[in-house]
Amino acid sequence: MLLPEPNWCTVVTNLAMSSISSAPRHDLVQQFETAATSAAASVERVIYAAGALAAAVKKIATGRIAVGQTLDLPSDLFSELRKLPGVVTGRSKQELATCDVGITEAFAGVARTGSVCVAVDHDYSGSISLLARMHIAVLSAEKITERPGDLFNPQFLNGKAMRRNFVFITGPSATADMGPLVRGVHGPHKLHIIILE
Amino acid sequence: MSSPAPVASPRTVADKSEKPALLAAIRMALEIESAAVRHNTQAFNSGRYLATAEIPDYDRLKDKARATKEAAIARLPELLATLEASVKRNGGHFFLAKTGEEAGRYITKVCTDHQVRLVVKGKSMTSEEIHLNHYLEAAGIEVAETDLAEFILQIADEQPSHLIGPAIHYSRERITALFKRKFQTDLPLDTGEELTRFAREMLRQKFLNADAGISGANFVAADTGSIVLVESEGNIRLTSQLPPLHIAITGVEKVLPKREDLGPFIELIAPSATGQGLASYTTVLTPPLTAAPLMSDRVTQREFHLVLVDNGRLQMREDPVLHEALYCIRCSACLNSCANFQTVGGHAFGGETYSGGIGGSWEAGTRGLLNARFSELCTGCSRCVMQCPVRIDIPWLNSNLRERINERDLEKSGGILEKAAAAQFRAKAPLPKIFFGRYDLFGKWGTRLAPLSNWVNHLPLTRALMERLVGVDRRRELPSFPNKSLAHAARRSAPARSSPDRGRAALFPDIFTNYGSPERGVATVEVLRSFGIDLVLTEVSPDGRASLSQGLIRTAEQQAKRTGEVLLKYIRDGREIIVIEPSALAMLRLDYRRFLSPDIFEQIRAHSFEGVEYLWRIFQERQLDVADFFAASRHPLGARLFYHSHCQQKTIGAAAPTEAFLRAAGFDVVTSRVECCGMAGSFGYKKDFYDLSMAVGQDLFNQVRAAEAEGGRRTLVATGTSCQEQLHAGLQRKVFHPMEVLAAIQKNL
Repeated sequence: MLLPEPNWCTVVTNLAMSSISSAPRHDLVQQFETAATSAAASVERVIYAAGALAAAVKKIATGRIAVGQTLDLPSDLFSELRKLPGVVTGRSKQELATCDVGITEAFAGVARTGSVCVAVDHDYSGSISLLARMHIAVLSAEKITERPGDLFNPQFLNGKAMRRNFVFITGPSATADMGPLVRGVHGPHKLHIIILE
Repeated sequence: MSSPAPVASPRTVADKSEKPALLAAIRMALEIESAAVRHNTQAFNSGRYLATAEIPDYDRLKDKARATKEAAIARLPELLATLEASVKRNGGHFFLAKTGEEAGRYITKVCTDHQVRLVVKGKSMTSEEIHLNHYLEAAGIEVAETDLAEFILQIADEQPSHLIGPAIHYSRERITALFKRKFQTDLPLDTGEELTRFAREMLRQKFLNADAGISGANFVAADTGSIVLVESEGNIRLTSQLPPLHIAITGVEKVLPKREDLGPFIELIAPSATGQGLASYTTVLTPPLTAAPLMSDRVTQREFHLVLVDNGRLQMREDPVLHEALYCIRCSACLNSCANFQTVGGHAFGGETYSGGIGGSWEAGTRGLLNARFSELCTGCSRCVMQCPVRIDIPWLNSNLRERINERDLEKSGGILEKAAAAQFRAKAPLPKIFFGRYDLFGKWGTRLAPLSNWVNHLPLTRALMERLVGVDRRRELPSFPNKSLAHAARRSAPARSSPDRGRAALFPDIFTNYGSPERGVATVEVLRSFGIDLVLTEVSPDGRASLSQGLIRTAEQQAKRTGEVLLKYIRDGREIIVIEPSALAMLRLDYRRFLSPDIFEQIRAHSFEGVEYLWRIFQERQLDVADFFAASRHPLGARLFYHSHCQQKTIGAAAPTEAFLRAAGFDVVTSRVECCGMAGSFGYKKDFYDLSMAVGQDLFNQVRAAEAEGGRRTLVATGTSCQEQLHAGLQRKVFHPMEVLAAIQKNL
């Protein structure tokens, strides 16, 4: 159970209905950033390059790091990430359950709610994005769409989304079952989103 | 003031099929759980208003979701066959359980076949409904509830009190006490963070060692076999994805035709439920997953079972009324927007599993009619109607349950007198229901016999008898019958200064105004006629609200038809209909669609107005300045008001015009921020519910006190009769109708 906070709702600036990306790209990214921030995620824009991505991660990720495989992004985009100190390569229960940071691709972002979509059945991305205390989601700015319903449009991502096992992640895990709002329950305490532009 | 010790505990309130048990549960809830429930539901409620206001096409989404649900339930048998084929094609197993017992046995067998010792479980109301844990535990399997609210309930051995926040009746302090007692720990557990960390660490070990995970499913797509899991904590993701064996259990009604249909539901459920754009985690899976299960070193193959539970649902589908409840997506908006629910929660306003306004139909459908007795707490205030993402008419469902329960009660326990009364009034219901439902007759005779009737009414013996026979609480002040009804009084008021271009209207003297408080009717006549409206009065005719609210549906239908004919005559004559009592107006604008033909209903709906709403429209159309006619500065009691609008008035959109009009007149208006005052027509008069009604009223009384503490006394204004009574009972002050305020200004000019 989760109780809302006063500023929990996202700011909706675009009134266009269910088309995939009718708003100008720049507005969508801005809207996404605002919404994700008010859902208690942190957002950072980084140049679309393996080196820049690894540098951004290095600033915030310490301890044992699990890096998932890319899905729609080119695999070499994560190549520098895998060279960071602390990266674990195994996929056993022991290794993944004890990681401090999990890094996955987000194959789509939702501007209205600030959500990122992560494929859960792809190289343990479901577990990597869930078991560590911090989840870093890497999202291409091009993949930000307007509203959650777009993911159920048969044309979205050429039909790929309709076949995927995925999760909309909106902020860190949270509960109000213990009284006040608490962030960080069974999932990460912190969600950091890196938008590649 | 000391109150009697509660005679029920949270563990003994599941069965409320008999009235005394229901009343005991209300007392318990008021005493122990009210503060936490109120805090949590009101936070949900304000969150929902904010979040849904941010959805630009909210109404279109609701229409779409409603249409999808209607089609899905209509085609359910066919969809179940499609779904079975899809799940099997994906490599999963499908089981349609006729009863809860069948589901429990099947799931237990799957678990024992896999030598499961430990199951982690996500929140699932369907599994609560069928008592799944009992079956598993009887087979020696440990079940760990992993939703933190369910974790609390499992430790405390209590039933859920809310559809999405099952432990909503627990304050942080009570959770701390519970954990300290049950776990005998010295760890600090004095904050939400500490409690959450404690539970997280305990449950993380369960997740890492579980052999199977059991989840519910919020939605199921028949064409692909996909399921949707909505949550905030992450426990359902772990439950469904970590162990090698995943069993999802849900009701057959959750099946939608296609994965494409999911969009509107995903966009509606979280805003309606918790006031978030999306819940922290909304997972879409087409199980079984292909990646090897992380949590097992032995098993590399995943297995998935989808267990769909019928348990009365397919029979509900055949029911001409209850089938609408199958559209429910369990968001709990109807619980959170309900003033009674906010005050007692689901241990009183709920059955063994399902709670709130929608809960009655579910308990009746899955467990039997008398288990819906708690639906008596639905006052029909209608605040939930616009909040439901699939537009279920919850008050209508509850009126129908009331009709059925009335009939059962009369047969089972009605005495000779009661059965004679029922025959006399042609209504199969116990006497109190007939008394409140046929207020038109009592009002008529009371008014004819006034002041004698008032003298008799106020005798202690009469009040004792009324309490005994028809359940009117003797602590409530009864409205006096007027010496002259509105119809009688207004006939003598001259139609002064009417100028046809101002407007032509007909005032419908509803029974509450006519026999209960004609002074607001007289004020309405004076104000409208002085303004130049050509105003006549229609014949007196009971509109059907009182009967409908008591479950006398056939009587309500007859009254609606008769009233419809009366009103239509005036509408055809080019007059707008003015209705003073908002509950009667809501009857005309909302409920008559159940009783009248679509074209007649549409005419009545489009031409009926609350009095100030009607005036506001004229001022808008003619671009007149309200202050030129009704300057607040001329009001003898000053220009500072506290205005409380009636629950049904808000629902039909007739509250905002009064607020706008009063402000345009120059009044400094503070408005109440409650869903309902707690009186809700006859509800607060009933002996059984007096304490609850007054407890609900506290929020309203406190808002008046707070507003006056800030800047001094305000004139109390309310549009509904029973709201006026409630404010008067709580604050011991005179309460005015807006038309009385306007009439006082006119007289002062």
